[in-house]
Amino acid sequence: MSEGQRLRRQHHQASIPAALAHSRYGVVVRPPHYHWDGERFESDRLISVDRSSVGSLPGAIEVVVEEDFVGVVASSLALAIDAAKQLKVEWQSVRQPTNSAPDSVKFTSLKFSAVKKSPQSQASMRQQYGWPSRMHWGNSPGWVIADYRQHQLDIWGETVTPLALKHDLSRLTALPVNQIELYCLDQTHVSRQATGLGRHCGDDAAVDAALMSKAVGAPVTVWLDARYAKDKEALGQAQRMTLEADLASSGEIARYHYQQANIIGEVAAVGLWLSGKAVTAELTTEAGATEASNNNDAAPFSPYVFRDQYLASRSQSNTLSSDPTVVDIQQAFARESFLDEVARNSEQDPIALRIRHLDDARGIALIESVAKRAEWTLPLSPLSPTSAPSSSPQDLLRGRGFAYSQLPSRDQREAPGVRSAWIADVVVNRITGEVQLTRLIVGQDTGPDVDTARLQQTLQTRVLGEARPLLGQSPAFDEWGDGRNVLVPVASGAGELATRGYQPATQRVPSSFNQPASDVLTGAELSPGVAVIANALFDATGIRFRQPPFTAKRVRQALQEPTVESAGRPAKLQRPARRRWLAAAALTTMAGTVAIAWPWKGAVVPIARPAANLYSADTIERGRLVAAAGDCAACHTADNGVTNVGGRSFETPFGTLYSTNITPDEVTGIGQWSYAAFERAMRHGISRDGSHLYPAFPYTAFAKTSDTDLQALYAYLMSQPAVSSDKTVNDLAFPFSVRSLMAGWNALYHDPTPFQPDPMQSELYNRGAYLAEGLGHCSACHSPRNAMGAEKSGKNYFAGAFVDGWEAPPLNALSRAPVAWSETSLYDYLRHGESALHGVASGPMAPVVAGLAELPEYDVRAIAHYVATQMQAPTDDSEIAVARAEQRVASATLSAPGLEAGERLFDGACAACHVATGVPTFSSASTSLALNTNIHSDHPDNVIQSILSGVHADHVPGVGSMPGFSDSFSNTQVADLAMYLRARFAPDKAPWQQLEQRSADLRQPHQNNTHSTP
Amino acid sequence: MTLTLTVNGQEHELAVSPQTPLLNVLRNDLALNGPKYGCGLGECGACSVLIDGMAARTCVLPVSAAVGHNVITLDGLACNGQLDPVQQAFIDAQAAQCGYCLNGMIITVRALLNHNAQPSAQQIRTALEHNLCRCGTHVEILQAARLAVDLNASRLQEPLHE
Repeated sequence: MSEGQRLRRQHHQASIPAALAHSRYGVVVRPPHYHWDGERFESDRLISVDRSSVGSLPGAIEVVVEEDFVGVVASSLALAIDAAKQLKVEWQSVRQPTNSAPDSVKFTSLKFSAVKKSPQSQASMRQQYGWPSRMHWGNSPGWVIADYRQHQLDIWGETVTPLALKHDLSRLTALPVNQIELYCLDQTHVSRQATGLGRHCGDDAAVDAALMSKAVGAPVTVWLDARYAKDKEALGQAQRMTLEADLASSGEIARYHYQQANIIGEVAAVGLWLSGKAVTAELTTEAGATEASNNNDAAPFSPYVFRDQYLASRSQSNTLSSDPTVVDIQQAFARESFLDEVARNSEQDPIALRIRHLDDARGIALIESVAKRAEWTLPLSPLSPTSAPSSSPQDLLRGRGFAYSQLPSRDQREAPGVRSAWIADVVVNRITGEVQLTRLIVGQDTGPDVDTARLQQTLQTRVLGEARPLLGQSPAFDEWGDGRNVLVPVASGAGELATRGYQPATQRVPSSFNQPASDVLTGAELSPGVAVIANALFDATGIRFRQPPFTAKRVRQALQEPTVESAGRPAKLQRPARRRWLAAAALTTMAGTVAIAWPWKGAVVPIARPAANLYSADTIERGRLVAAAGDCAACHTADNGVTNVGGRSFETPFGTLYSTNITPDEVTGIGQWSYAAFERAMRHGISRDGSHLYPAFPYTAFAKTSDTDLQALYAYLMSQPAVSSDKTVNDLAFPFSVRSLMAGWNALYHDPTPFQPDPMQSELYNRGAYLAEGLGHCSACHSPRNAMGAEKSGKNYFAGAFVDGWEAPPLNALSRAPVAWSETSLYDYLRHGESALHGVASGPMAPVVAGLAELPEYDVRAIAHYVATQMQAPTDDSEIAVARAEQRVASATLSAPGLEAGERLFDGACAACHVATGVPTFSSASTSLALNTNIHSDHPDNVIQSILSGVHADHVPGVGSMPGFSDSFSNTQVADLAMYLRARFAPDKAPWQQLEQRSADLRQPHQNNTHSTP
Repeated sequence: MTLTLTVNGQEHELAVSPQTPLLNVLRNDLALNGPKYGCGLGECGACSVLIDGMAARTCVLPVSAAVGHNVITLDGLACNGQLDPVQQAFIDAQAAQCGYCLNGMIITVRALLNHNAQPSAQQIRTALEHNLCRCGTHVEILQAARLAVDLNASRLQEPLHE
C-alpha cells in the first residue's frame, strides 16, 4: 500500500502537510433540509446564490455551486466560515420537513412466502433493527485535504472505508479508482482500522473537499468538526432489518422471518447526492429469496435451521461498490440480537436456544468450547466492590452477552465458512452511561488468528464511544486545562490499552489453523462483535439497543427514560423545550424523596470537617479553576474583606441580601457540610439545614455543572483555611423573607437538569456553553428577570439587565455596541480586559475578567465563541468594521454645539485623557469614547456610574484607570456632562432624559438603584 | 506584597498597595519631588512623568500600572550631569513665574519631542493644551518649547561632530 508512505508520520493530527501549506480552505453550505429516508435522498432545491453577498469580505472568495451543492473557498478557515455565514442562498423547500421519518420500511412490494402459523405456536415476536449511515469519527476535529489535478486526486484525511470513499470520489470526478490516492494525516494507517462497521463523516468531508478542489483548481482543506454531525443526522439509517419469529410451546422457533431493506448497507457521501452525481437505486425485489435457498451471492444468510424460514432482501441496482462485510455485520447484529431477545422473552438460555437450531457439529463444538472457557452462567454475580475503583458499586451494572455467526465464504456459500462465537462482559456506569468492554472471548474455527485485544479496543472505540477507551473519563465539555488539546491516537494497537483500574482479560480459544495475524480487521472478525455488546448491555441494564453505536450519551439517556430506546431508533437530538411546568414536575424525580411542593426540606446530617489532605493536589487544582470560572470570591468576599468569608451586600428589588461564609469554618462556614449537602445547595438552592437559599446565589446556573467539577470545587473549598465570620442577617421585605416560599419559586423557575452538550455544535461551543450557562452564570447578570426575580429565556436570553446599579449590556442581537463585536474582540475583552474597538471592562465586570485570568486560554476562547454565537458575531473584525470604527472616531473630534456647560466640563476634566493630541500618552484612554457601548446604550447608568466612581484597574492590572468625580461634580454637572458625551460621541442616538435624577439615585447606594427590568 | 518599580534607571522593591497612585509612591517612598500634586484628577498635568518615553499623569495611575515599565521623573531627566535640552530651554527662556506647572510642561514637551522632533507651533500648542498654568506664564512657556525644539535638534547633532 502506498498510503502513508509519501507522507512522513505527522506528530499531530491537526497539522497540514508542508507540501499543502498553500491549500485554500473550504466550508460547505448545506440546504436547510436534506435527508436520506432509507430509500432515496431528498433535499431542498437550490434557487439562487447571491455571490455579491460575500463581496465585502477581504481576500478572494470563490463560491462553488454544483446542482444543490454550495461551498465557499477562501484563504483562511476563519474567512471561509464567515463567508459561509454571510452568503445569501435561496432554497426551495421540496417538502415540509416532517419529523416522522418512515418508522418502518414498507415491504409492500415484497411477496411473502405463504406464512402459516404452525398450530403449536405459542407466541410470536417482531422486532426491527437499524444501522446508522454514519458512525462516529472520533473525538477530535481534524483536517481533510483534497488536491485535484488533471489526472490525479490525492486525499489526506481519515477514512475507515477506503473502498467506498474511492468509489464515491471516482463517481464525483470521473477519474478511475486507480488515479485516486488516500493518505493519512496521523499515524493511524487506514487499513489498521476496522473497515466493517460502516462509514463516518470523514468520507463526506473528503468528497466536499474534492468537489471544491476540482472547482477552484487548487488544494482545498475542509475542517471536519461537529458541524458534520448534521450529515450524520440527515443520513439516518443505512439499513433496517425486520425480524419475526413464532415460538412453539416447546420453546423452539417454529417460524423465522428476516427482511432486510437494502442489499447494500452503505449510503453515498452527502456531497455526491447534492451535486447530483449519485443515482438513487431502482428498487426491485430480490427474486427467489424464499426459504433458505441462497444461491444468490447478495441474499441474506443465516447459519441456523428453522422449520419455516424466510430470508429476504430488496436489491438495488449497484450504485455503490460496498464492502460486503458491512452487510454481513448488519445481518449478524440483527439476527443475534433478535435471537437473544427471543431467548430472554421465553426464558431460555441464549446459547442453548442457538445450539437447538444449529445443524452443524463444528459450530456446536465451537460454541460449547467458548462457553466453557468463559464459564458461561447467567445471571452474573453482583460486582464486587474491589473491582470498581472509580464509582461506588451500586452505580455500576454488569452484564454478559453471547453472539455467534457463520460467515459465508464468498466463493461457495457452504459449510466451510468461518464460524465465530463471542462472549463479552461489559460494565455500565449508570450515572455517566459509559460502557466498558471488560472481557472478550472469541472463538473462531478457521482463518487467521484473532487479535482479541485489538478487537476489544476497536469495538470499544467505534461501537461504544467517541474514542475514549478508558472508563472514568469525563465528557469533553468539562475537561480543564490545556492538556485537553493533546490528541489521543485512535486504535493504534493493543499496547495503548493501558488501563486505569481494569485489566481487560482477553483470552482466545485455539483455532484450528494458526496463521500470522493480519493487521486488517475484516468483517469476518467483527461480525458478531456488535451484537455481543448489545446482548451484554441488555443483560446489564434490561434495555435493548437496536441500533449501534452504544455511546455513553445514548446509554445514559436510555437509562433515564427507557422508553426512548425501546423503539430502537436513535434518541432525538433536539434540545428539550424549556417548559418550566414540566421541568417542575420532573423535579420530583431529581430531588429524591421529598415531594417538591412541600416547602420543607430535611437537614443533611452535619459531618466533621474533612481533612485538608483528603483530596489530591490535582483535584484541588481543578477545583480552584472551577471556583475561578464560577467567580465565587467575587460575591463571597466583602469589600476589603477576607476571601470567601462572605458579608458582601446585594441590593435586590426585594431587599438586601448578604453573601455567606464559604470557608470550611465549622460554625459560621461550610465546614460541617457533607458533599451531599454541598451538591444540594449548588443544584437545588437548599442549605445544609434544609432552608431555601435565594437565587441571588445563582444555583439556577450552577445546577448545570458536571458532577466531577462540583466534587473538585468541594475539595478545593474544603482545603482552604477556615475563617470565622460574623453572621449578617438579610433585610428582606415580607413575604420575601419567608424562605420556604422559594420552594414554589423553584418549581416554577428552576431547571436543575445538568448541562447537555449540543451534538450539532462544535466542541469549542459546547465548552463555552458549559462555562457560560453554568459556572460562569453570565445570564445571572446579562438576562433580564421577571417580576419574581427569575431570569427570562428565549429571545430575552442575554438581553441585558441591571445589577448593582450597573447595566449589564445585552449579549445577543440587541447589543448597542457602535461597532459590532467579533469573536476576536470578545476574546480580547475577556482575556485582557480590553478590546481595541470597544474599550475596557469596568464596574462589576472587572472582577469577572480578573477571575477569568485564572482560566486556560482555551476556556476563555470557548466562552468568547459561545457569546459570539449568541450575538451572531463574525469570527474576526472585518475591514469594514475597522473602517466604520475609524470613521466614528474621526467624526467625534468636533465638539457638539449648544451644550457649552457640558463642553466646559469635558474639556476641563476629561479631555486630557479622552481626546487624542497627536502624541502618544501612557495614561490616556486607548479607545475613543465614540466606540464606547455605554454611551450608545438606551440607559445612561453606566456612564453616570463611571463619572461618579471612575474606572479602576484594581482587578485587571494595566487596564484603564479613571478617577471618580462624585466629590467634584454636582448632579447638574454630571447631567450636563453626560448629555454632552451622548451628543458628541453618539450623535445618532436620542438624548437621555432625567439625567440629574438618575445621577442622584445612583449616588445613593441603598436606594432604588436596581431596576427589575430595563 | 511587594512590587518592583524601575525609576530613573534604578530598581526599587516597594511594599505598597498596588492601587496606590504612582505619584504618592514617587514623592513619599522615593522622595522624588519633581512631579507635583495638582488637581488629583488627571486634569492639570503637574504630576506628569515619562513612562517608556510617553507622558503619564501619575496622580490617577495606580503604581501597579508602572510595573515592568521604565519611569523617568524630572529628577532623572538630566544625563551625565548635563540638563536635558528641554530643561535648558525653560531656564534660558526664563519661563517660570510660580513654577508649579513646570514639571508637567517640561515632561510634556520632552514626550512631544520624543515622538516628533520638529513639531510645528500648532502641534506644540495642541500637545500642551491639557497642561494647566494658573499664573499666566503661557507666552514664555511656548517660547521655551520652541527653543527646546532647536536645542534638542542641535544636541542630536552633537555626537556626529565628535
